[in-house]
Amino acid sequence: MNMTELVTKELINLNLQGSTKDEVMEEMIDMLNRTGALKDREMYKKALYEREMEGSTGIGFGIAIPHGKSEAVKRTSIAFGLKRSGVDWDSLDGEKAKLIFMIAVPTEQAGNEHLRILQLLSRKLMDDDFRERLLDARKVDDVVQWFAQII
Amino acid sequence: MKLVAITSCPNGIAHTYMAAEKLAKTAEKMGHTIKVETQGSIGVENELTTEDIKNADGVIIAADKQVDKSRFHGKRLLEVSVTDGIRRPEELIAQFEKNEVPVYMEQTAAMKLKSVEEVKKERSQKQNPVYRNLMNGVSYMIPFVVIGGLLIALSLAIGGEPTAKGLVIPKESIWNHIFNVGAASFTFMVPILAGYIAVSIADRPGLAPGMVGGYIAANGSFYGSQAGAGFIGGIIAGFLAGYIVKAIKSIRVPQVIQPIMPILIIPLCSSLLVAAIFIFILGQPIAGIMEGLTSWLNSMQGASKVVLAMILGAMISFDMGGPVNKVAFLFGSAMIAQGHADIMGPIAVAICIPPLGLGLATLLGKKKFTNEEREAGKAALAMGLVGITEGAIPFAARDPLRVIPSIMVGSMVGAVIAMLSRVADHVPHGGPIVAVFQAVDHVLMFFVSIIIGMIVTALLVNILKKPVDADN
Repeated sequence: MNMTELVTKELINLNLQGSTKDEVMEEMIDMLNRTGALKDREMYKKALYEREMEGSTGIGFGIAIPHGKSEAVKRTSIAFGLKRSGVDWDSLDGEKAKLIFMIAVPTEQAGNEHLRILQLLSRKLMDDDFRERLLDARKVDDVVQWFAQII
Repeated sequence: MKLVAITSCPNGIAHTYMAAEKLAKTAEKMGHTIKVETQGSIGVENELTTEDIKNADGVIIAADKQVDKSRFHGKRLLEVSVTDGIRRPEELIAQFEKNEVPVYMEQTAAMKLKSVEEVKKERSQKQNPVYRNLMNGVSYMIPFVVIGGLLIALSLAIGGEPTAKGLVIPKESIWNHIFNVGAASFTFMVPILAGYIAVSIADRPGLAPGMVGGYIAANGSFYGSQAGAGFIGGIIAGFLAGYIVKAIKSIRVPQVIQPIMPILIIPLCSSLLVAAIFIFILGQPIAGIMEGLTSWLNSMQGASKVVLAMILGAMISFDMGGPVNKVAFLFGSAMIAQGHADIMGPIAVAICIPPLGLGLATLLGKKKFTNEEREAGKAALAMGLVGITEGAIPFAARDPLRVIPSIMVGSMVGAVIAMLSRVADHVPHGGPIVAVFQAVDHVLMFFVSIIIGMIVTALLVNILKKPVDADN
């Protein structure tokens, strides 16, 4: 298994429309919902916002990783959205978020393999070059390919 | 510099690993080595060894979750949030370079009067798994023994009529029903013990095989024995069932069969296996041991009874609710259902003597105890009345060499007096509280034993202890 099973083409949007955090959240939840990753859209949304209440998931470096672990999730999925002009995410460093990874994890995590992949992605995001490449991405296929290389 | 770090976050999905990566990269860039343990939802990875910690010049904990710091006693330790680990690893490491990080000191027993809860928690962490599994079973079993012992004792005491064959409850009396309820509760004792030992080992799938095994162990008719294998058989059945289930669970099966594993395959196979082992192999020999034990107890007279009481009394106070105490307690409880409530009697006396005796000691010898200890003394008196030996722990933790021998001698004296005066206790619990529930035979001697044990403990501990400064 590799990351391409968690992020399919339909879950990548290199040109997010929303210009606020809430709009981007809605947009990306819809992406996940369209692929059938969610059982209950509203319940998942609630889990996301509950997590945001604990502290912003804007971790700096232009990255935000809104994530929700919820019964409302059918299968582990990641949606990736790019907002070149950036969105205010209450980030710790005040920087706007440009790379947004929305993570959906079911409460009953069947295998650790999915978590392992999320771990690899998290580590990879700390790599400056990798972030630069994502910020300059033009084609969805390229992004899929880069994700596939994360092992 | 050699550094070690731990990262952890509430969800354990992303932040933990980002911080780990960032710390590792930054340390390398700054010319240091670092090993980062991650505590994420996958579990603990890259775990720090004692060796790692010993060789480390500093420790960074970047976590938004509670991390156990006891391993880092005496190390330079910096505790920050997980986002600090991601955002400003340079600053964190620079603090070590500039020698600005204080050394972490854990509060030790000598510095602090430990509460009962703290000691209990530490103990359960240190317990070995066999003991923990056993105690899980025992804790579920106890209420059944309480109901059985109490109802049978009550119905005989109030509803029984003395006849040539001893106390007999008239058939039509309401007490006959109550007696039967108590007997029903006893029936569950061994199956519950076995079932919850198995649950502790193998989780929920262990319950049914454990209980079925326990029932077979308790009923000698399965293997042609009159007495049955009793509680020893139950313990063995529980462990057998637990490990068999655990073994079957670990077998990899095709996806199709997986859903029916926990409800059909596992319970069925393991129950049959446990049953077969008991019926054809273990049942008879264990039943033999139990018969031997019972007849040994029956035949015991004078001197050997005193020795047994001394051993049980000493065991009860030795670790105040710890494993040694629980073994003696378990023996006493199991003997109630075997018709030997006179074993539990001395134990019930011994159980309350340590806290009561030490409480009395704080009242008699005010100069020998700190203010803090005198407060703990009042609490100990209250705990003693309801039969909680653990009330003595704060004293013993502070000054074990003087306190533990004193309470052991006190409990031994009390237990011997109780044994010789045939004090019996029909519920698996100790202290004056059991007399309130009418569960004690020879109540007067029960209290006499407790009071003498208390006085012995209090005098002994006050003789051994040196005075302390009041403001210390």
